[in-house]
This record gives sequence, structure tokens and C-alpha cells, in this order.
Amino acid sequence: MDQSSSFEEQLTALLPRLRRFAHALSRNSADADDLTQATIERALRSRDQWRPGTRLDSWAYRIMRNLWIDLARSRSRKSVHEAPEEEGLSVGEDPREAMDASVDLKRVMAAMSRLPDEQREVLALILVEGFGYREVSEMLGLPMGTVSSRLVRGRTALLAMVGEA
Amino acid sequence: MNDNEKFFAWLDGELGPAEAAEMEAKIAADPQLQRLAEQHRALGAQLKGAFDPIADAPVPQHLAAAVRPSAEVIDFAAAKRARSMPSLPQWAAMAATLALGIFVGTMVPQRAVSPVEAQGGKLYAAASLDQALDTQLASAPAGSVRIGLTFRDQAGEICRSFAAESASGLACRKDGRWQVKGLFAAPEGQSSDYRMAAGMDPNLAALVDSTMAGEPFGAVEEKEAKARGWK
Repeated sequence: MDQSSSFEEQLTALLPRLRRFAHALSRNSADADDLTQATIERALRSRDQWRPGTRLDSWAYRIMRNLWIDLARSRSRKSVHEAPEEEGLSVGEDPREAMDASVDLKRVMAAMSRLPDEQREVLALILVEGFGYREVSEMLGLPMGTVSSRLVRGRTALLAMVGEA
Repeated sequence: MNDNEKFFAWLDGELGPAEAAEMEAKIAADPQLQRLAEQHRALGAQLKGAFDPIADAPVPQHLAAAVRPSAEVIDFAAAKRARSMPSLPQWAAMAATLALGIFVGTMVPQRAVSPVEAQGGKLYAAASLDQALDTQLASAPAGSVRIGLTFRDQAGEICRSFAAESASGLACRKDGRWQVKGLFAAPEGQSSDYRMAAGMDPNLAALVDSTMAGEPFGAVEEKEAKARGWK
């Protein structure tokens, strides 16, 4: 029982970071919190698959990323019939609104949301979440070279977008 | 890894020492690369600056609760995250009203004055309670009121939790007086030798948690605060 309480505590401690990652992946705040919630539920259901002694954060990030891909796939099927989602930031309870962000920060977030998904996840994991190349390659099940080239393309595109003023 | 990838790997500290030295020499000789490195460092900082506030923001209650579907109603961590609550929660006010009767009833010897008094809709410490809050240190318990934790709230005012045989509560310094922020009746049958740390009423603990900014005072800080007149 001690083990299970420590799993929940560790997961709770991870929530702020998982939420940050969800916001980098998703295009709006509501989607990000839905994704976080789905990740928590999946992590609790599959807790037996996590091996104690290994990093819980990588494991939970991977769950989130896979759920997000599933979500993105089902959305792109729908979006054939629906108007495209509004780009950039949403209003309301978005924490990004509350932080009194400068124009620059909003611009870099909006630019991030315009990146292709496979570049955005790599940038988020390495530049925002602070994982190393090898960790990301293991987490995403991609060769290091692929992680590295996506990182280059994503960064270059992001700089070009943010540079446009 | 091509040169372009190597450049970024260097920027991220992912190159081995030999390759890093090679890249550094290359960049040192090329002002354009130097500028690019600067731009990308700034971009990285901007990204962090944009997304980090999300990790610093309080986690929405429904997400925190999702991790512990069977959690108790009183979630101390959640109470702490909800620190910015504007005023004393309704339940605390109600509990205070209920506890007041018991508190006054048992703490006050005949003819003595009430240890709490209402003024302008607020509750203030008086008589024995006021005196205990003013003079007593947690390390040196005396009399019928014991002091638990001393700390500062978000406004920077000093607050002290206290316990008597029949009730416990929290008072904060406001305009030179001890304003009672919460008062809770002790559960029936509790040992008279109550210990604040072990036996703090869960409602009081939640109130303390949501009021406290930083850490509780140690014995020395508590003594110094007393010497300064709780300012």
C-alpha cells in the first residue's frame, strides 16, 4: 500500500510539469487540461506497467504524448468536415492569459502552435521540459538522428516566425 | 549528425568534449554562427518564459482530484494551492460560531471576561487568549491556552494557532490586535493533554495551510517576533 500511495504522490508532484507539456502540445487550454486528465486516468489504470525505480516522469510524458497523437488523429479526421480550430490562444481560464504575458511570449506560443506536431513535441520536450536527446529518443521511440533533425527544423521555423515582426 | 545538427547539439550541451571543442572553434571564427547561437539561446529562453508560468500556476482542483479519486474531502495540498481565497471560508465562520459557545463556556471562570469579543463583524482575541497570544511561546506552554504555530500570512502579518481544552483556532495580527480567523470545537473525548503538532484539528490545519506564506517560525524567530511586538 505504501507503494501505491507513493505512486499517487509522485504523479501529483508531476502534474504541474505534465500540464505545461499538455499546453505546449495542445492548441488551447481546454484541450490541454482534457489531455492532462486523460493522462492521469490512463496512468492510474496502467500503473502496473510502470517499473518502480525507473523514471515516472518519462513514463507519464510518454502516455500523454501517445494520447495526444490519438486525439490529434481523431481530430484531423473530423476536421475534414469542420472549420479549422482557431489558431493561437484561447480566452477564459487560460493560465497563459493570467500571467500577463508580454507580446513576445504570446508570439512565441502562437508560433509554437503553428509548428507541425512532430516538431512541436520534440521542441517542447527538449527546450521546455528539459529532457536530453537520448531520453526523448527513448520516450518517442525514434532514432536520435530523427529527434535531432526535427529539433533543427522546428527551431529554425520557430525563429523565422518569431523573427517576423 | 550534419553540421547544422551538431551546432544545435552543441547549444544544448549534447556534444562530447572533443566535438564540442571543435564546434566552439568553428563558432569562434564565424560571427554569423555567433549571432545564430545568440538568437537561438534567446528563443529557448522565450519558450521557457512562455510555458513555465503554466507549471508555476496552481493545478486545477479537478485535475488534482483525479489522481486521488478516493481522497478525503479535506485535501491539504489543495487548500494550500487555493491560498488566494479572498476571505475566511464559510465553513470556518460557521465552525467558529459553533465553537465559540463551548470555548467561552469552558475557558472562562465565573466573572471573568470572554476570551473573544466581536467587533464590527470581526472576532478578536481578548483577556486570557489575547494575553496568551501576546506573551506565550510555543516552547514554553503555560496556562489554559497553548500556542502552536507562528507564521506570516500572505499579507505579511503574523498569525498564531492556539488550542485550549475545548477549542482550537487561528489568530492573525491586524492593526495591533489579534483577529480570530477561525475557531473550532475540539472533538468530544479528546485527551486534555492535547498536542498541537500531532492533534491539530483538520479544519484548523487546512486553515493554517491556506493562510501560511512560507515556513512556520522556529523558536528563535518566534522569540524575536515577540520582542518586536508581533510586527
